[in-house]
Amino acid sequence: MTLILGYVATLLVTFFTYNIFVIGLNIQFGYAGILNFTVITFMAFGAYFYAVFVMPHADNSSQVFYILGLHWPWPLAMLAGIVASGALGYLVGLIALKRLRSDYLAIVTLATGTLVYGLFGNNNKLFDGWSGLFNVNQPFQSVATNHPNEFSWIFVVFSGVIMLVVWLFANRLYASPLGRSMRAIREDQDVVDSFGKNSFKVRMLAMVIGSVIVGIGGVLTIQYIGALSPAGWTTGETFVVWAALLVGGRANNLGAIVGSLLVAVIFNEATRYIPQVPSHPNLIPNLRNVIIGGLVILSIWFRPQGVVPEKKASFLEVPLVDKYAQGFPGEEPGGTLSPAASEA
Amino acid sequence: MAKSILEVKGIKLAFGGVQAIDDCSFHIEEGTITALIGPNGAGKSTMVNVISGTYRPDEGHVILDGKDVTRMPNYVRAQHGLLRTFQISREFANLTVLENLLVVRQGQVGESLFGALFRAKRWQEQTKELVAEANDILNTFGLYRLRNEYAGNLSGGQKRLVELARAVMAKPRLLLLDEPMAGVTPALIERLGHHIVELNRELGVTFVLVEHNLDVVEKICSRVVVMALGKQLADGTLAELRSNQAVIDAYLGGGARERVGS
Ligand SMILES: Nc1ncnc2c1ncn2[C@@H]1O[C@H](COP(=O)(O)OP(=O)(O)OP(=O)(O)O)[C@@H](O)[C@H]1O
Ligand SMILES: [Mg+2]
Repeated sequence: MTLILGYVATLLVTFFTYNIFVIGLNIQFGYAGILNFTVITFMAFGAYFYAVFVMPHADNSSQVFYILGLHWPWPLAMLAGIVASGALGYLVGLIALKRLRSDYLAIVTLATGTLVYGLFGNNNKLFDGWSGLFNVNQPFQSVATNHPNEFSWIFVVFSGVIMLVVWLFANRLYASPLGRSMRAIREDQDVVDSFGKNSFKVRMLAMVIGSVIVGIGGVLTIQYIGALSPAGWTTGETFVVWAALLVGGRANNLGAIVGSLLVAVIFNEATRYIPQVPSHPNLIPNLRNVIIGGLVILSIWFRPQGVVPEKKASFLEVPLVDKYAQGFPGEEPGGTLSPAASEA
Repeated sequence: MAKSILEVKGIKLAFGGVQAIDDCSFHIEEGTITALIGPNGAGKSTMVNVISGTYRPDEGHVILDGKDVTRMPNYVRAQHGLLRTFQISREFANLTVLENLLVVRQGQVGESLFGALFRAKRWQEQTKELVAEANDILNTFGLYRLRNEYAGNLSGGQKRLVELARAVMAKPRLLLLDEPMAGVTPALIERLGHHIVELNRELGVTFVLVEHNLDVVEKICSRVVVMALGKQLADGTLAELRSNQAVIDAYLGGGARERVGS
């Protein structure tokens, strides 16, 4: 029973954090059309910076090296992690959003991801290189001492509340005039500019907001597990977040949730229980990527809008009398407004 | 002489080896409807892009309300009331027709992050007012019953109407229309022309109209600027231009002359 309860808690935390990742990406891609192909780097930034702000100074005799080690209280360290991830988003935005079209932006994000991965992995003075950080201070540990699963369940509530806040925030943003501008930019950036809006600024906003949200998910991840190494944030992980968004349905946060349930929780977890093949230790993880890839292809083929498509906007309105319900005087039957008539 | 709202002076712009605009100057008087005509490739669309700030010219100046705006980004020019439409319809395809209009109104409370998050009551109210205003405009353009369609699903002619309705929603003072009547039925041409004249009379919008159809030009434009090979060739009323040999050679010659019937 204890084991099952612990497992369910972990599943729920995974579900909530993936929701947060996917909502972050949704604001960038689903709202504003920004192709961020290194979502997971922002997760790592949030996690690592949380860690080095919350952990005490590195004890060099243990051969573990990392920067800072400020031993801040966890809420402040959490803020630091989030700011770091947002700052990375701003930096990438400065390089890529000012002049480049979206396909080049995608390349810049990929390059950023590879650069950060190589730098953090190979340089063991930053975040302890390939071995990564462990024994990272977790919140609530001092109060959760009575029961083995107590920490896990406190964390379920904690991450659930944060997810809820992110969800409410994302939905308000979507419905607001700012969200509408973002979606218009997704459709045609130049036109938005030519109507007097600084589309660079709006795209930057989407980029940074998305990065901040993914960073929040990163902080939660390392708070729950207490450790993170580069093996935990490979390119494949970015792919899982993208797959969740595309399968679930972009530009709809409900789709983000359905997608992270389907892809990140069900598929990712289910494949964990396929027995390992001893002679091919990489077979199962690779197979997992193949399966998720297949799922993305199938969903794009059969349901390009995702399981939960973007909702059509509707407004409270006072109905008008349609002046031209009968078409226009002097026009051929059906009028100019019958779809075929004006194609000429 | 009426005050000129817009002046272009000595504009030059080359794309690689192509001198799309080659020392072109003219001015537009406030409150008028001016046609910009010329053969294909004369540089009309390029000029619209230079005026609206999409392209920066190699040389020359764009002057709006007596102020040099040559180095001003396009979105700031638009904030001064200088708006344009595109030769090929560029609707926001996955937004509804109504949303296409809502999005272009400037100065909404919920456009800043702070406003969007913390002044929801205010922008919800404002959106309600804008919806009513947009519906009125859509009704005038005969698009009312299509308001909740995705703009991408409309026919070519309907998209031209959305393009114009959207520009109206943005409250322009000077509106550049790049071939608004290209590829639409005669009945629709009639209506678009009617709308343009109405907007000019009732709201005082100044128009610059790039147009190949000289019947339309004759009907609604008080003055015509002719461009050829990137230069301003002549300007005046269409009647005056019909007797201008250079214009006849460059543009009105051939098929066009018969259509105009001079
Ligand atoms: N972005 C561009 N890159 C390269 N050449 C261009 C570009 N835009 C326009 N040109 C060239 O500049 C010249 C002027 O083109 P422009 O589109 O302004 O003509 P136009 O008068 O609008 O013609 P049309 O009546 O066919 O619309 C043409 O020779 C065109 O090929
Ligand atoms: Mg043109």
